[in-house]
Amino acid sequence: MPRPKSIRAPTTASLPNNLRIPSTTPSLVKTLGKLPRQSLLDLVFQWLDDRNVQQFPPFLEADEEEAPDDEGLRPYPAERTLNDVRNAYQELQFRKGGKREVVDRILDGDWRHGITLRQVAMIDLRYIDDHPASLRWTALELTRIGVSSTEAGDTSIADISACIPRIHASTFLSKLQEQISPLVKAHFYLARSTTHPLTFLRIFVTHSPYQNPRQAPDTLTDSSRVMYVAFPDSCPYVYTSLASTTGSKATAGTAVATDARTLQRIVRDAVPKALSLPHQRYALKSTSLTAKNLQALLALRGPGRSNKANGAFSIFADAVLEGSPLDPRPSNTISPEEHQKQTTYSQPDQEKENKSADTDKENDAEEPASQQNVPSRRARDLETDPRTAKKRKRTVQSRFGISGTSLSAAPLDRLDARLLDLPGVDSNADDDEDDVSRPALALTFTGTDVISGIRKLAELGIVDAERMPSWMTGEEGISVAVVKRRRVLNDGG
Amino acid sequence: MDLNDPTTQLEEELDSEISNIRREIRKLQRRRRFLASSVLSSEALQNRLKPQQPSTSTISSLNEDISPLVRAAGVHTQSNHHRIAFSTTTFPFKDPSPVTDAESEKDSKNLLGVRIDICVRNGRFTKPYYLLLRKVRAAEHAEKNKPEIRLKVHRHTIPAFIPVQRLERIMLPQHDPLPVPGDGDGNGNGHGAIEPLKKKPNPPARQQNLQMFIREIRRQLVSWHMRLDAIHLIREQLGIIRRGVDPYPDDEEDGPWDRDMLVDVGFDSGLGETRLKKNDYGIASFSPTALEAAYVRVEWEDGRVGRFKISDSGTVERAVVIGDNGRDKVLEAALTGGDRSVLTVLDRLKKDASPGRDNDADSNTG
Repeated sequence: MPRPKSIRAPTTASLPNNLRIPSTTPSLVKTLGKLPRQSLLDLVFQWLDDRNVQQFPPFLEADEEEAPDDEGLRPYPAERTLNDVRNAYQELQFRKGGKREVVDRILDGDWRHGITLRQVAMIDLRYIDDHPASLRWTALELTRIGVSSTEAGDTSIADISACIPRIHASTFLSKLQEQISPLVKAHFYLARSTTHPLTFLRIFVTHSPYQNPRQAPDTLTDSSRVMYVAFPDSCPYVYTSLASTTGSKATAGTAVATDARTLQRIVRDAVPKALSLPHQRYALKSTSLTAKNLQALLALRGPGRSNKANGAFSIFADAVLEGSPLDPRPSNTISPEEHQKQTTYSQPDQEKENKSADTDKENDAEEPASQQNVPSRRARDLETDPRTAKKRKRTVQSRFGISGTSLSAAPLDRLDARLLDLPGVDSNADDDEDDVSRPALALTFTGTDVISGIRKLAELGIVDAERMPSWMTGEEGISVAVVKRRRVLNDGG
Repeated sequence: MDLNDPTTQLEEELDSEISNIRREIRKLQRRRRFLASSVLSSEALQNRLKPQQPSTSTISSLNEDISPLVRAAGVHTQSNHHRIAFSTTTFPFKDPSPVTDAESEKDSKNLLGVRIDICVRNGRFTKPYYLLLRKVRAAEHAEKNKPEIRLKVHRHTIPAFIPVQRLERIMLPQHDPLPVPGDGDGNGNGHGAIEPLKKKPNPPARQQNLQMFIREIRRQLVSWHMRLDAIHLIREQLGIIRRGVDPYPDDEEDGPWDRDMLVDVGFDSGLGETRLKKNDYGIASFSPTALEAAYVRVEWEDGRVGRFKISDSGTVERAVVIGDNGRDKVLEAALTGGDRSVLTVLDRLKKDASPGRDNDADSNTG
């Protein structure tokens, strides 16, 4: 049971970590059931760890005496001590079985008095760690407001540093809470990713001003009310999971500002403000990159070398072009071998890309690559003229560098392009900017790894590797492109 | 099918043997190539061959065979020498992208590459950093007689915590006073031509200073690597246990494993996790807080936690140590005292902190 609701006054505090969701809530089974058995057990051991057990106390015999409600009916009798609980789960660990067993034990046994919000948050983050592609992430750039104008005047370079906010967890959270408290009630959970150099912030939003919301407990596990913000290490970017689900729109009947998406937007707008310091204000700027894979975001908007060097320039980012200056081997004797290795590695995992052109096909490059005529084409090409095939391969390598191979870890699952050029008209001719009817062409590529798919098409000779625009090679590192005069015109976002 | 079948077993054995031999062959081939190029680029050989070049009549047949290789090796050695000596070198690069951009086409395709090599503590060089700069012709409104060429950073591989963009804005100012976002850098057609004309009092664009720009970027890169080196060195002085490599005593309570950010730029090396050994400084953890390694977090075994900032010149700028009884001013003073160098932090801790520590703790409780 949740705590007695004797005091019910609107507050500006965030939802407490130890707010319990009744274990009878049906959606909890689903929430827990997302994880495999081993992950569930790992989490339980984490909860029962000496350092954490105060926050997630399991239901023990002593508790039963305090509140004897339905003794004897429960399938799992309350254990006497904490160690007994631990042993019970150790036993489950050694025994084989389904995860249902563990879920039942958690909900009906040791946490029958409720799962806290913090526990739910931990479950969700564990799920993200296990499934890095479960959400769509959008990369945003943190920029300082009001610096550029003053900075241009004086050239003192002493205090130029990238705007990497230093995040002190509790300060940041309290400032964020300060920003949103009039409008949004939220629960925050900040955790370090175990697989990526990232810090996750999970925010659960509701609109009730009360500490113990009297809503249906199901809303406390509603995934459409959850948003994530990820802070990658040492770089001025922030990833958010906003615009992922468009689920509970129907609940927004009462007032405009209470549906989950609006609340999430409010929270997101508050993030840069919470990161700001006096005389050092930040704003978020779009970077035209949305992808499912966190690895891709880290490669393209992360702390590494590959942010501004993709496509043809990826050879620089990964330094496959030249070695260290102590290497006596001339670079041109090494790189072909390296390239060779890459292409052989990348063979197996490239069959799944499909591409779909939304509205129309571009003039020559985008012909439908239906599955049946690809192999024949390829075979013909390879047989008839090995020289052109070789030349094409070299062109592909120079255009793509190593992006699109298995060596580059930036799989984009979607690439949208809006072409503002008139098809067929020479791009030099339309210098005059009068707005005659200007057909806009939108292309959408989807698949597991779009860039490697395009690379494959180029290798097969379906896409002309020499003439294709650079946004098709992933050089810009964006997933939404507006193309004009064959150049990407994204307004820096 | 069944694994106990002697023939399958034999086959498996043979297979593994073959793959082993293949691996060995590859390794030897690589080694041979390495040695061959070492010999080819060696000073003695190069000097020996040089005087014979003019009089090619006698050994022309031999020379024909050998010269391309030798020459390539010689050129490569020379560029390596430049890279080692000057650390920043330039090279031309041709953008393969078919940008059709009116008159500036041939300019925008030829890029100026800048390569920065940085030597780190173990005597090796890091992966080189690159900057590729694009030429931008002056817009029409500038003086017609002098088509000024300005440089613009096109692509680079500098880590994100070094503010290339802002440095560029200061030291490589562009023609347009209002920063044209993205790639539309005002080549005199389209919107770009109209807007500057409207703004009549156009201040003359400031001079670009490429050298200062590159120097600043290199300075920041070097100081980053120096910080990393210093932290690495101190960790080694404290004694580290590498996970999975060194055997570690089980009786100690396990401290936190630190993901090692220091191995070159190992963003993705998950296996380089290390832990500090038990040491007489009582330090349980000593690690940078983030990749740029400007801040170091120190944890002592008795629960005190400290944090200090390393400046670009390698000194401890500020330090905070917090224990159970509030701030530990003695330790803080020890961290920032003396010559303030990061490298001697441990010496200072040993000298200053250990005798005064207990007294201080007493005075704090009292």
